[in-house]
Amino acid sequence: MNDKCDNKKKILVCCGTGCIANNSIEIYNKLNERLKNSDISVEPIIKATGCNGLCEKGPVVKIMPDDISYFKVSTNDVDEIIEKTIKNDITIDRLLYFDTNKKEKIKSHRDATFYKPQHKIALRNIGEIDPLIIEDYLEQDGYKALHKALFQMSPTEVIYEVEASHLRGRGGAGFPTGLKWRTCSKYDQYPKYIVCNGDEGDPGAFMDRSIMEGDPNTVIEGMIICGYAIESHKGFLYIRDEYELARKNMEIAIESARIHGYLGTNILNSGFDFDLEIVRGGGAFVCGESSALMASIEGNIGEPRAKYIRSVEKGLWNQPTVLNNVETWANIPPIILNGSSWFKEIGVEHNTGTKVFSLVGKVKNTGLVEVPMGTKLNTLVFEIGGGIIKDRPFKAVQTGGPSGGCIPKEHLDISLDFDSLNNIGSMMGSGGVIVMDDTTCMVELARYYMEFLSEESCGKCTTCREGINTMLKILTYITEGKGEIDDIDLLIQLGETITEASLCGLGKTSPNPVITSIKYFKDEYIDHIINKKCSAGVCKNLTSYSIEESICIGCGLCKRKCPVDAIIGSKKNPHVIDIKKCIKCGSCYSVCPTGAVIIGGAII
Amino acid sequence: MKIKIDGNYYEGNLGETLLELAIRNNIDIPNLCHKSGLIGQGRCRLCMVEVTEGTKTKIVSSCVFPIKNGIEVSTSTENIIKIRKDIIMLLLLRTPNNEYIKSLAEEYNVVPPTRFVDVNSKENCILCGLCVKACESMGTNAISLVNRGTTKAVSTPYDDASKDCIGCGACADVCPTNNIKLVDKNNERNIWNKKFNLVPCSRCGKYYTTEQAINYVNKKLNTNEEPLCDSCKRKIIGEKFKESCQNIY
Amino acid sequence: MSIESNYDSIDSEESIKSINIIKNYPKEKRYTLAILQDIQKEFNYIPRDIMVSISEYLNLPLSDIYSIATFYKSLSLKPKGKYIIKVCNGTACHIRGSNKLIEEISEMLEILPGETTEDGLFSIEIVNCLGACALAPVMVINGKYYGDMNKEKVKAVIDEYKGAI
Repeated sequence: MNDKCDNKKKILVCCGTGCIANNSIEIYNKLNERLKNSDISVEPIIKATGCNGLCEKGPVVKIMPDDISYFKVSTNDVDEIIEKTIKNDITIDRLLYFDTNKKEKIKSHRDATFYKPQHKIALRNIGEIDPLIIEDYLEQDGYKALHKALFQMSPTEVIYEVEASHLRGRGGAGFPTGLKWRTCSKYDQYPKYIVCNGDEGDPGAFMDRSIMEGDPNTVIEGMIICGYAIESHKGFLYIRDEYELARKNMEIAIESARIHGYLGTNILNSGFDFDLEIVRGGGAFVCGESSALMASIEGNIGEPRAKYIRSVEKGLWNQPTVLNNVETWANIPPIILNGSSWFKEIGVEHNTGTKVFSLVGKVKNTGLVEVPMGTKLNTLVFEIGGGIIKDRPFKAVQTGGPSGGCIPKEHLDISLDFDSLNNIGSMMGSGGVIVMDDTTCMVELARYYMEFLSEESCGKCTTCREGINTMLKILTYITEGKGEIDDIDLLIQLGETITEASLCGLGKTSPNPVITSIKYFKDEYIDHIINKKCSAGVCKNLTSYSIEESICIGCGLCKRKCPVDAIIGSKKNPHVIDIKKCIKCGSCYSVCPTGAVIIGGAII
Repeated sequence: MKIKIDGNYYEGNLGETLLELAIRNNIDIPNLCHKSGLIGQGRCRLCMVEVTEGTKTKIVSSCVFPIKNGIEVSTSTENIIKIRKDIIMLLLLRTPNNEYIKSLAEEYNVVPPTRFVDVNSKENCILCGLCVKACESMGTNAISLVNRGTTKAVSTPYDDASKDCIGCGACADVCPTNNIKLVDKNNERNIWNKKFNLVPCSRCGKYYTTEQAINYVNKKLNTNEEPLCDSCKRKIIGEKFKESCQNIY
Repeated sequence: MSIESNYDSIDSEESIKSINIIKNYPKEKRYTLAILQDIQKEFNYIPRDIMVSISEYLNLPLSDIYSIATFYKSLSLKPKGKYIIKVCNGTACHIRGSNKLIEEISEMLEILPGETTEDGLFSIEIVNCLGACALAPVMVINGKYYGDMNKEKVKAVIDEYKGAI
C-alpha cells in the first residue's frame, strides 16, 4: 500500500438504512462542506459506507487509520469532530461506544464486545468501503477471485472448490451450494441461468439488504464465477421492492462492473460472456420461495410449483438454473480466492464458515452479527447482544422467521448451525434472531405469525391457505379468551397435515412457530385457555392490572402516565387502579419503578 | 416401466403422472383439481399418496408427480387417510354449504369443529382453478385467479362483464362442485356478470349456446358450420356412420 | 356491447405519460410487473384504462394483468394518498409495539390501514419487515424512515406533513 494514503485520514460515515434514518446523510454532507472550507493541510477522504451492523447506536462515524468509532453522532458534533479528532488527534469521549458488558467506553469498535467475537466473511467489506466506488472494492482484493477462476481454474475446478468448502445455502434450508452447481453443470441444455434471491422477506432479517447496499460487488463477483462454472451467460437479481437503496447501489455497481470489463462480453479478455439484470420484486413474501421467484421473473403471479423436477434441471423458463441467496453469493469470492480448506477451518463439521444473524427484538445491542457457525446462542444473545433490555428475564428467541420456531431458555447453549436448529424444531432460515422477554406472549406471537402467513400465502394449495387460516382462527379465539382445551390438539393435528401436504417449502414450514410454541410453552396456552390469563399482559381480554399495596411507594408515576386517568391515590400513599376505566395499555406496568403493578388474568 | 401401486404392478408410460396412471387403471385416488386433458395443478392436495423410492418414503401429490421406474406407491395408508380427512375438513370450513364437499365429508366421516364453522357462509368456491384452466385452454382467458392468500378468488377483471368471455360455459362444465352460476333463461345466458343471446340448434331448435361462442370457434377453426347442439351432432355422426355401413354391404 | 365504458377515464396528458412508460419496455411478458410498478409509481395506483393499454401492448389477456395487479402488494387498484405511511409490522416491530402504533395513526387520521384520507393526503399501509429492525417500531413516509416511534413522535411527524402543504 502506498504510504501517502496511510497518512491521510479517512472518515467513514455509515449510510446504511438504519443510519440514514437517523440523518447520517446530513452528517456526511456537513463533513464534506466543512472540510472543503477548512484550512487542513492534508484533506481527509470522506466515505459513505454500508451498514456497520450496530444500527441502534447509529449514526456511526469511523476515523481511520486512528481506528476511532463514534456512535450516535449528530450534525452538531461535526465541527467538534473536525476540530478535535481530525486536526488535533483528540478523541471525543462522549461519542465513544459504551460497552455494557465491560462497563467502559471503547475507542475502536473492534474492541467492543459486540464486534469482538465476530468473524466477517460475507460482511467483510461492509462499513469499510464506499459501495458505489468499484476501486474501493478492488482495493479489498475485489474481483481477484474472478481473475483466479477465469485464468487459473477450469469450470470443474471452481465447482470442486465450492463443493469442498462445504458451503451450504444461506437462504434457509442449507442445501449444499457446490452440489447444486455440480448438478446444474451436468445438464446439456442451454441457455442456463443464474439467479440471486434478494427477496429477503423473513421479518426480522436484513443481512441481504445490508450486503446489497454495502458491498454489491461481492454478489456480482460470486454470480459471475458461478456463470463461468456452469456455463451460463445470464443472471438475474431479484430484489425486494421495498429495498430501494439496495437496488440503486446494485444498479450502479453493475454499471461500473461493465465499464471495468467484469461484466458483458469477453470478460477480462477471457472469452467468457456474462451479464446481469435486476428484477424488482412485487411485494410478496412467497416470492422468496425459489419456484415462486422464478415464476415472478417470468412475468407470472408468484405461485410455487411442485419441485419433483428440481430447478437445477428445469428452472427459469424451464432451463437449468442455479439460484442462491445474497449471503451465499457473498461467500463465493473469498472461498475461491483463499481456497476451500481455509473456509472449512471456520465453523463446525458439516456447517462450515460463518453465518450472519440479525439480532433484534428485546436485546440491548441490536444489529447484524457475523459469527462462525456453531457459535452458541448464549454468546449471541448475552455477549454480543449484551443481554435483555432493562435486564428483564429472557424468555425465548425466534429463529428462521415465520418458517422457524421459538427456542426456550433450556436450549440457550444450542450451537447455531443448520442441523442443531432443525433438531429442536426451529430452523436457520435466513438468520433472523428475534429475542423475546417476559413481556412477549408466545400464544399471541404464534397468532401474529399465522396472520402474517395468511396474508402472505400465495393461496394456491388448500393446506397452506385454509390450514393457516383455520389455525389463525383457533389462535385468535385463544388470545381472546374463547379457547377450549381441545384446541391445542387441533392445532397440532392441522400443523402435521400442513407440513406433510403443502406444495412448497414455505407452506410446509408454516406451522413451525405454532408447533414449537406449543412444544416449549404449553403452559402459556393452558393459562390462556383454562385460567383465562395472559401473564405477559399482551392479550387484553386476558389481562388485568392491579397495584400491590405493600410494594407501592406512592410516587405517582403511573398516575401521570395513565392515558385514561384510571389511577387514583395521593402522594406517598398506595395507588389504586379503577378496573372499569382501565384500557389495559400497560403504561403503569412499564413505568413503575418498584414493580408494584401486577398483571392478573381476566376479571370475570 | 413397472410401477407398484398398493401391491400390484402397472405399466406406466414415460411422462405420465402418477394420478393419470392410477385413473387409467381404475385405482381410486380422490382429487378435485384434476381433469384429463388439462395439466395437473397440485392445488387441492386431495390426491396425496405415499411414494417409496429406495429407502426413502415421501408424500407427494400424484397429479403432478412424474412416475419413475422402481417406485412403490401406497394410496391409502393411515397417514394418507388422515391427511385426506383434514383436507376435506379444511374445504368444508371454507365452503360449509357446498353440497359436493358436504357429501365428500360424509363419505369420509369428517366432522368439522362446529365452533369454527360459519353456517351462513355464502362461499362455494374451493379454488381448484379448473375453470381458469378451461378458459385458458379455450384461448379466451376471460377469468383468472385474483388476489392472494385467504382472499384469493376466481373472477373476471374488476368483476365486470369481460369482453373476452364468449359465454361458452366451459368453466361451468369443469367445476368439480358445480358452483359456477350459468343461468339460461328466455333464450338468454347469464354468466360472469355478462348477458348473452342464445342461438338455437339448426336441427332441433333448442337454444344451446351463445352467438359469440359459435363465432369464436368458427373464426378459430376458419370454418362456417351451422349451429348444432351436442345431441344433434352425435345423432348426425351416428347417421353418417350407419349410411357408410350400408354402402359397404 | 360496450363493456369497459362505465369507469372514469384518465385524461389525455396522463394517457401520453402512461404510453411513454409502457413503451420503455420490450413487448415481452416478463416486463409486466415492471411496467405495472412504474405506472404505480407515477399514478399512485393502476388506472383501469392503463391496465387495458398494457394488455394490448404486451398482447396478453387483461385477466392476466389483473391477476398480477391483485397478487403483488406493491400494486394497488385504488388511488393512494400523496403521503403513504408504511408502518412496519415485522416481528421486531411487532414485539416492540407496532400494533399500538398502527392504532394510534389510524385514530389520528381517522382511517383504517389500507385506506386513504378523504383529502387524498395520507394512506396507511401495514407492511412487512422493512429491515430496519434496530429502529423498531419503524414507519416510512414516502421513502423516509422514522425510527423508534411513539405516539408523540408520530403526531409531530404527521403534523409536519400536514403543515408542508
